[in-house]
Amino acid sequence: MAKVLLIEDDSETAEEITAELADRGFEVEWSANGIEGLDKARSSRPDAMIVDRLLPGMDGLTVIEALRKEQVRTPVLVLSALGAVDDRVRGLRMGGDDYLTKPFAVVELVARIEALLRRPVESRETVLRVGPLELDLIERTAKRGDRVIELLPREFRLLEYMMQRSDQLLTRAMLLEEVWNYKFVPATNLVDVHMGRLRHKVDGPDEAPMIHNVRGAGFILRAVS
Amino acid sequence: MRQPQFIRSNTFHWALMVAGVFAVFVIVLFGFIYWQIDDYLTARSDRVITLELEGIAGLSPERRLEAIDEKLRQDPRGVQLAAIFAAEGHRITGNIESLPPSLRIDGPAQAAQIVKTNGKGREHQVVRAIARRMRNGDVLVLGRNVDEAREISHVVGEALGLGLLPAFLLCLLAGAWLSVRAQKRVEEVNQRVQRIIAGDLRERLPHRNVDEPFSKLAIIVNGMLDEMETLIHALAGVGNDIAHDLRTPLTRARITLERGRTNATTLEQLQAVSDKAIAGIDQSLTIITALLRLAEIENSRRSASFADVPLHDMLREVCDIYEPIAENKNVTLQVAVRHRLAVRGDRDLLIEAVANLIDNAIKFTPEGGRVDIELLRGGAETIVRVTDTGSGIGEQEREAVLRRFYRSDKIRNTPGVGLGLNLVAAIVKLHGFRLAIHPGPGCRVEIICPDREAAKQPARPTTGQAVS
Repeated sequence: MAKVLLIEDDSETAEEITAELADRGFEVEWSANGIEGLDKARSSRPDAMIVDRLLPGMDGLTVIEALRKEQVRTPVLVLSALGAVDDRVRGLRMGGDDYLTKPFAVVELVARIEALLRRPVESRETVLRVGPLELDLIERTAKRGDRVIELLPREFRLLEYMMQRSDQLLTRAMLLEEVWNYKFVPATNLVDVHMGRLRHKVDGPDEAPMIHNVRGAGFILRAVS
Repeated sequence: MRQPQFIRSNTFHWALMVAGVFAVFVIVLFGFIYWQIDDYLTARSDRVITLELEGIAGLSPERRLEAIDEKLRQDPRGVQLAAIFAAEGHRITGNIESLPPSLRIDGPAQAAQIVKTNGKGREHQVVRAIARRMRNGDVLVLGRNVDEAREISHVVGEALGLGLLPAFLLCLLAGAWLSVRAQKRVEEVNQRVQRIIAGDLRERLPHRNVDEPFSKLAIIVNGMLDEMETLIHALAGVGNDIAHDLRTPLTRARITLERGRTNATTLEQLQAVSDKAIAGIDQSLTIITALLRLAEIENSRRSASFADVPLHDMLREVCDIYEPIAENKNVTLQVAVRHRLAVRGDRDLLIEAVANLIDNAIKFTPEGGRVDIELLRGGAETIVRVTDTGSGIGEQEREAVLRRFYRSDKIRNTPGVGLGLNLVAAIVKLHGFRLAIHPGPGCRVEIICPDREAAKQPARPTTGQAVS
């Protein structure tokens, strides 16, 4: 069971997050201020941390900086009401691994924590496989079973990202940031359109679906059971 | 003791200083005049007595005595001095008691202390004098009292007193008056400014005529106040718009929740209600995010992180992302890039701007229409042009589309926040580029990027059509 340390001063927000993460099977420890949070991070060695930026006692970024100086590599998700691009850049530069602006959907938070916990290992593998799906990164070809899937470069990029993170919920914001490198949320539902096209190619009419739409949250690529 | 306020004022200090400098200057000037006149008079006396001495010396000894007596007799003012002393030192004739010891015989005219004597008494004087030894051994001394110099110095001193003191006082008075006047104006301005601070935005600073610096300053400040008043009113208008646009989805969410709480009987119904409410709240959040983003860009001073952005690659990339969306709507999206052109800027922001324009173009183009993206060179400018076959933006709407939350009546039912073009305009302005919106069939929007040399001048709309 993964252990998550939450450092957040607002007790109501903390309660919501704790309850949601506990439902998903995480063990959550909560600190309401930076100094105590830093102590807990040192003593209980969590698998991941959620750190609010503005904390009483010690600023969230200072906590992260202190841990990084002690060579603690625990992945950290920074929470902040400061949503400007510059704040985000600063948050990531100070050692945060991901940055989420308040207010956020709880699913988004959980998806990002899971993504942090299951970061794809650097692999020399040139062929990605998920169930019957096969992606050759050198030849730039895709196959489902024996069926060859013709993909446009942009679709290939999307599928590659999803296969590296199969069985994980990928939210629209995550996809925008990671696949298209968008630093803003476009007016149109870009992600849905692209995903629709990819799904059309990956899941044939008489095949079991692999790309699943999670209502109101995002998408998951699952190996067919 | 408290000094009156004007004495402490800067203006008064200046006046005091000017008066002091003026006084010193006048004193030096008068001194110089006195010195010059004194010098002149001395030189003249010296010349006269030297000439007389030569004249008398040329006479026979008897005629000399007569000439001296004659000379002294014809001197009603008593400034002439003359005497002949015998070789051994006693006076033969004249009105000088004895041969002055400081007087050099056969030397040039010089100042000498003598004792003047006549029938009535003796008197010590400092005079200009000259002495010469005659052939028979007698010493002839001629002198002249230059009392005029002393009189002149007296006159000069009086003039100085009469002129300088009133002038000095006048200076001080003028200084005090100016200082009091300036203070009154400052106080007047202060009162008005206090009223402005208190919230009366219509208040302006007083000014009299244009040529006076104080009035000039007041006119400048008034111009600034005009601009600020307009801006504040615009901002208040935006505030109302924001409140309206935020309230609408929130109200909807509230009603949905309220009705759901009363009417929902199954979990599914409650979930449907929650989804609807969340959608409403999300829309409000989207608006807030867009507004914050707008504020972030407008206040950004990010030109430090500018780099060369290859527009040809960037346009292709953005089009690649939007192609499926256009296809879904059966709109042809085409990019025509003839040159490889780069501009200096923030890549992410420029992508955002172009993406917004393309997003808009696709949204407002009916099925079967087309959207063209072009990269052009014209003059010293690089132009990104997005043309669509939608309903276009009317002449009278062109300014309005850049207003926050403006949504044309024609498109009331198209989803969107109404901040897209504001974002584009803000990004364009940040880069020192220009945004031009052309009317006509469909809509043509251009981001005009002047070359860097040309961009140094402030970006201003060059034609009636350009808005920046």
